[in-house]
Amino acid sequence: VASHEEIVEAVTAAVEDVEHDVSAVGELTFHLHPDQLLDVLRVCRDDEVVAAELLTDVSGVHWPAGDEVIQRQPSTTGWPDRVVSREEGVIDVLYVLRSLSGGHRFRLAVRVPDDDARVPSSTGVYPHAATFHEREVYDMFGVTFEGHPDMTRILMPDDWVGHPHRKDYPLGGVDIPYKNDKTIPPPHERDLREVAQ
Amino acid sequence: VSLQEPTDFVVDDTWDGDFFVDGADWESLPDAIDEDTMTINMGPQHPSTHGVLRLVLDLEDEEVLRVRPVIGYLHTGIEKNAEFRTWVQGTTFFTRMDYLAPLHNELAYCLGVERLLGVEAPERAQAVRLILTEFNRIASHLVWLATGGMELGAVSMMIYGFREREHILDLFESQSGLRMNHAYIRPGGLAHDVTHDFVERCEALLDYLPTRMREYEQLLFKNPIWNSRLRGIGIIDADTCLEYGVTGPVLRAAGVAHDLRRVEPYCNVEQYEFDVPTHTEADSWARFEVRLEEMRQSMRIIRQVLDDFPGGPVMVEDKRIAWPSQQSLGPDGIGNDPAYIQHIMGESMEALINHFKLVTQGFTVPAGHVYSAVESPRGELGYAITSNGTNRPYRVHVREPSFVNLQASDYMSVGATVSDVIVVVASLDPVMGGVDR
Repeated sequence: VASHEEIVEAVTAAVEDVEHDVSAVGELTFHLHPDQLLDVLRVCRDDEVVAAELLTDVSGVHWPAGDEVIQRQPSTTGWPDRVVSREEGVIDVLYVLRSLSGGHRFRLAVRVPDDDARVPSSTGVYPHAATFHEREVYDMFGVTFEGHPDMTRILMPDDWVGHPHRKDYPLGGVDIPYKNDKTIPPPHERDLREVAQ
Repeated sequence: VSLQEPTDFVVDDTWDGDFFVDGADWESLPDAIDEDTMTINMGPQHPSTHGVLRLVLDLEDEEVLRVRPVIGYLHTGIEKNAEFRTWVQGTTFFTRMDYLAPLHNELAYCLGVERLLGVEAPERAQAVRLILTEFNRIASHLVWLATGGMELGAVSMMIYGFREREHILDLFESQSGLRMNHAYIRPGGLAHDVTHDFVERCEALLDYLPTRMREYEQLLFKNPIWNSRLRGIGIIDADTCLEYGVTGPVLRAAGVAHDLRRVEPYCNVEQYEFDVPTHTEADSWARFEVRLEEMRQSMRIIRQVLDDFPGGPVMVEDKRIAWPSQQSLGPDGIGNDPAYIQHIMGESMEALINHFKLVTQGFTVPAGHVYSAVESPRGELGYAITSNGTNRPYRVHVREPSFVNLQASDYMSVGATVSDVIVVVASLDPVMGGVDR
């Protein structure tokens, strides 16, 4: 098993200006600029220490502009103090890589603005491992993976408008007629008594 | 609320025409690409495509040139829904994803939440989790054997597989109150303790299953049709498995002894002896043998856990996390424990306040990312959980093994015949509830 230090050393030696951190739960994450992604993926695949044979997972997390984050968590009340953090919305694309021979795994995080979300596709380095996952992130977040052979929707209908996992996309409230010409309003507008009837 | 317009995307030149998922588009499907090749549609209602999987096949006579899986028919937005509910309620959603491995889904999610919380479930809860997930693996492989057998014409196997699985579901029902979709494993432990006859029930099941498994072997191992349909079909070697991200029995059948119970042990599984079965042939037959052996190894693990079954609580001590509603199993199913109701309603105001706050608001989870993975019957089941420090998950992404493994159906089918596509899909064992989520 390669330790975190060995992985960091191998990656930072090959690609310049790569930031990393180890979270409170002990997971190693590299924070990358989209331009660095393919170089780092290549190192992860080819380096003998990192030896990540498997691109396990690609997922997205949307942090919209003006979102509140916790500044302080006082132990006395248990209720957090919050501040508005971002002027521009961002999407984090998270890659989980796993080494079968080494038995370790770590994460790559690429941050892109949500109004122009473009990330190079990993299909050039790991040819087929993430074709579905990248289509899913495109479908759900609107991140375009440049160089992907088939950048189309995968879970939602092909003619769907919008990207459902973005935080400004409501749960419910999409204009779809159900039986009796009813539509389901978003949760904060829902009158439960009415729904029950 | 403004919905995002779809951004520009790269159009694949080789992708001819749109394949809408609203159905009724048969006429728009080209029935001939050129003189010799033909595109035909299989599913989503085809009985051999495991639910609602749709495959668009390019054929030259009977030979498959390309398989395009079209998925999404069972998409229910579980990940999005979970963002609007508390952490404990998440279990109820995720158990409904891969409906043949509900306990693995609950376990992977709860392990991730526990890691963010910095707590660990008590020993007894871990033992019960391990026993139930291993039984779940057997039940899932039984359904695979049953449906796979049915798809290949071994219809009696279908009846036997579902019959034995029902005994395992009876065990789940006796403990959680539900055959499937249990929501029994919760962040911090279990919903409630197992019944007093839990160990006897498990042991009775362990005595019963091996004799039945010998019957399946007698039925199938020398069956000429079963042999000729499986052997040499859907070959995918280890390197190609990794290229496509394929894990689980398919990877092990290609000779790689990769098992997350070894790599990232959970629920104290490292304390018990078990083998990781592998095979060298990498075809559908190899997957059949690997899965049969995995069922035996699961029973081996369960026996060892039962031999030294720990006592004690099944939920963490921390009253800020532990679900307050103590429940008990009565003759009419699971309900409130009368002693607990007496306690919060008659004796302790503080207990009532705590109960009320935890049930309505839930607990907060420290901000951060976590990736928690377990070995589900189909491979690596990973939960990428993001918390922003509130009482609800900020984002939960599920790395579903069925979803990833389905990518390889194209590679595995090319050059084979249409009837072999069914064998390939059956040997991958995708569960559409997990693929589409």
